[in-house]
Amino acid sequence: MRQAKYGIILYIFLMLPPVVTLFEFNMTIHMHMQMPLLAAAGMLMYPFLKQKFPGFFEKYNKNGIPGIILFLIVVSYWLLPRAMDEALTIPAVEIFKFISWPFLVGVPLRDSWSKFSVMGKNVVLGILSILFVLMAVIYIFSDSQLCNNYLIVEQITLGWAFGFIALALIIYIVQQFFIDHSEYEE
Amino acid sequence: MEAATLKESFIDKTKSKLGVSPEDSRLSLTYLSLAFIILFVGGFLGLVQGLNRAGLFELPPWFDYYQVLTSHGILLVLVFTTLFMTGYFYAGVSHVHGGLSPKVRKMGWTAFGLMVFGVIMTVATVVAGNASVMYTFYPPMQASPWFYVGLTIMVVGIWVAAAGIWTSAVQWKKENKGKHLPLFTYFGVGAYLLLFLGSLGVTAEMAMLIPWAFGWVETVNVMLSRTLFWAFGHTAVNVWYLVAVSAWYIAVPKFVGGKLFNDTLARVVVILSVVLNVPGGFHHQIIDPAITEGVKFMHVFMSLSIALPSLLTAFAMFAVFARAGKRKGAKGIFGFLKKLPWTDVRFLAPMIAMIAFIPGGAGGIAQTNNQLNQTVHNSLWVVGHFHLTVGVTVALTFFGITYWLLPYLTKRTLTPRLNKLGVIQTWIWTIGMLFMSGAMHWVGLLGSPRRTSFSTYGDNATALSWDPYLFLLAIGGTLLFIGVALMVYIAFHLMFKAPKGETEFPIAEREANDITTPRWTERWGLWIVVAFAVISMGYVIPVVEMIVNAPPGSPPFQPW
Ligand code: HEM
Ligand SMILES: [Cu+2]
Repeated sequence: MRQAKYGIILYIFLMLPPVVTLFEFNMTIHMHMQMPLLAAAGMLMYPFLKQKFPGFFEKYNKNGIPGIILFLIVVSYWLLPRAMDEALTIPAVEIFKFISWPFLVGVPLRDSWSKFSVMGKNVVLGILSILFVLMAVIYIFSDSQLCNNYLIVEQITLGWAFGFIALALIIYIVQQFFIDHSEYEE
Repeated sequence: MEAATLKESFIDKTKSKLGVSPEDSRLSLTYLSLAFIILFVGGFLGLVQGLNRAGLFELPPWFDYYQVLTSHGILLVLVFTTLFMTGYFYAGVSHVHGGLSPKVRKMGWTAFGLMVFGVIMTVATVVAGNASVMYTFYPPMQASPWFYVGLTIMVVGIWVAAAGIWTSAVQWKKENKGKHLPLFTYFGVGAYLLLFLGSLGVTAEMAMLIPWAFGWVETVNVMLSRTLFWAFGHTAVNVWYLVAVSAWYIAVPKFVGGKLFNDTLARVVVILSVVLNVPGGFHHQIIDPAITEGVKFMHVFMSLSIALPSLLTAFAMFAVFARAGKRKGAKGIFGFLKKLPWTDVRFLAPMIAMIAFIPGGAGGIAQTNNQLNQTVHNSLWVVGHFHLTVGVTVALTFFGITYWLLPYLTKRTLTPRLNKLGVIQTWIWTIGMLFMSGAMHWVGLLGSPRRTSFSTYGDNATALSWDPYLFLLAIGGTLLFIGVALMVYIAFHLMFKAPKGETEFPIAEREANDITTPRWTERWGLWIVVAFAVISMGYVIPVVEMIVNAPPGSPPFQPW
C-alpha cells in the first residue's frame, strides 16, 4: 500500500493553496501539469481501491472498455477551454476537477490499461494523439481568445504543447510498428 | 553441445585477450592523439589567460584576450572532450562487442573528418580576429559566418559518431537476442543520445545565426538564440560528466579489487541523465530577462532533479569502496579508506575527480537558486565552479582512463615509473586547481567579473583588492600548465615508447548476488519519448513566449 500512500501525499500536495496558484498561473501548466498529476495521484491510489472493492472493478470494467470510455469522456470535457475557465471562476467546477481527474481519469485508466493487449493500448494512444493534434490546431490557429483567464500567447503555447505531446505519442506508436522485437528478443 | 560451449568460450576468451583489432585501435588512437594535442594548445592558452588576469602578461593586439578566451573555451570544453569521448567509446564498444563492423568504423572515420574540418574552420575565424564571441557565441555579437558553419559541421560529425555507436548496439542486439546490452555500450548509447538531444537546440540556433551572419536577414532574436544555445551547452557538459561516470562504474571497481555495485542502478543513472537533463539549460539564464518568474521557479526543480543521478552515483561508489575494503579486512566505518590503492594512478585520478564533484556539485546546487545566482552570475566564481566540474571531475577522469586505455590500444604497459609520474601529475593538477579554482571562487564573491582581461578599473579600491587572489589564480594556472605538459608527455609516451605488453580493458564484474536487470531498462523507444516529453515540458512555454512576443530583433555588433 506504499503506492496509495504516495498517491494521497501527492493529492494533498496538489490541493495546497500556494501549489494550486502556482499550477494554475499558466494555461499550459494548468492543463499539462496539474491535471495529469491529479490523474497520477489517482493511478497511485488505484491498487488500494482495487483491493477494497475488487467486485466493483470486476463487475463494471470487465474488459476495460467502459473504463476507457469514461476516461476519454472526462478527458475530452477538460480539453474544452470553457471547462478550464470555469474551474478558475466557479468553485464547484474546481472541486469537480480535483475529484474527476484522480477518480474518473486516473483510476479507470490504470484499471483498463492492465486489461488491454498491445493493440488495445495502441488504439487508445492513437485516439489520444488524434485528439491532441486537433487541440494543437485549434489552440495554435484560433484568432480569438478562448479563455477569459488566459492570454492568447498562453493559448498558442498550450497548442504547441499539445502538438509536442501528440508527436511524442505518435513516435512511440510508430516505433512499435517499425521495430521488430523478434529481431532482438528471444 | 559441449563442443559448442567450448568453442564459444574460446572465442570469448580470444576476443577479450586479443583486445581490439588493429583497425579499431587506429581509429581510437587517432581521436585520442588529437585530443591530447588540443589539450596542450588549450592548456597553454589557459596559462596565458591566468597570467594576463594577474597583470603579469600583456597580450599582443593581433591575438588579444578575447581571441585567447574564445579558443580556450572551444578547444577544451567542446573539442578535447568530444574527441576523447569518441575515442573512448569506440574503443570500449569495440572491446565489448568483439570488434566494430566495417560500416561502424567508416562512420567513426567520417565523424573524425567532419569534426576536424569543422574545428579548423571555426578556430581559423577566431585566430583571424573575426570571431571573438567566446564559446557561447551569444548574439547580438556576430562572428564571421564561417565560425558558425564550422561549428555546424562539427555537430554533424557528432551525429555521425553517435550513429556509429547506435549502429553497433543494434548489431549486437541482433546477434545476442534477448540479452541486455553490455553496460559499457549502454553508457555509450545513452551518452550519445543525450548529446544528440542537446545538439538539436544548437542546430536550430545555427539555422537562425547563419543567415544573419551572412547578412541574408538583418536581425536576430537574442533571447531565443541564448535559450537554444544553453539547451546544448548545458547538456554537453552533462554528457562529458556521464562519460566520466561510465568509467567510475565500469573501470574503477577493478582497481580497488571491487565489483560493479548494481547493474540496474547504473542503467537507471543513464536513463535519468538522458531523460532529465536538457531543460537544465535554463539555470544558465536565471538573470536573463524575458523569462517570467514562474517559469524560472519551475526550472529550479528541473535543474535540481539532475542532482538525483549524481547522488545515486555517489552512493554506489561509496558502497563499492566500502565493500572492497571489507573484503580486504578493513575495520570501522572509514577503515576502507586505508585499503584503497592511493598510489595507483588509475584509481587516484578518478578518485580525486569524484571527490572534486562534492564541492563542484554543491556549488552547482547553490548557483541554481535565484538569489544566490544574482551574487555570482558572470563573476569568476562561475569559472571556478566549472573548472572544478569539467576541469577536475571530467578532465581527471579522462586522464585516469588514459593510463589504461592507451596501453590497451597500443599493446603496451603502464610501467611503475610512468605510474609514479602519473601520480605526480594528478597531484600537480589537484593542487593547481585548488589554487586556481579556489581563488576564482573567492574573488568572484568579491565581485571580480569573468571574461574580462586585466584591468584595475582606474585603480578602483575594490578592483585592487582582487589582486592577491588573481595572483593565486596565476600560480594555480602555472601549476596546471605543468600538469597539462606532463599529461601530454605521458599520453604520447604510452602511445609510442612504453614497453610492449598486454593491458586489460577493465570491466568490473557483477556482484554474485546482484539482482537480474529488469527488461524495462532496454526500452529505449520509451526513454526517448519520455525525454522528448520532458524537453517539451521545459521549453514550450518560454520559447513560444519568446517567439510570439518577440521584440524587433537585434542588428549585429562586433565590438572588437
Ligand atoms: C591549464 C589548465 C587551465 C587553465 C590555466 C585555465 C584557465 C582559465 C582561465 C583563467 C579562464 C578564464 C577567465 C575569464 O573568464 O576571464 C578560463 C576559462 C575557461 N576554461 Fe579554463 N583553464 C584550464 C583548463 C581548462 C579545462 C581542462 C577546461 C575544460 C575541459 C577549461 C574550460 C574553460 C572554459 C569553458 C572557460 C570559459 C570560457 C569563456 O568564459 O568563454 N579550462 N580558463
Ligand atoms: Cu548547466
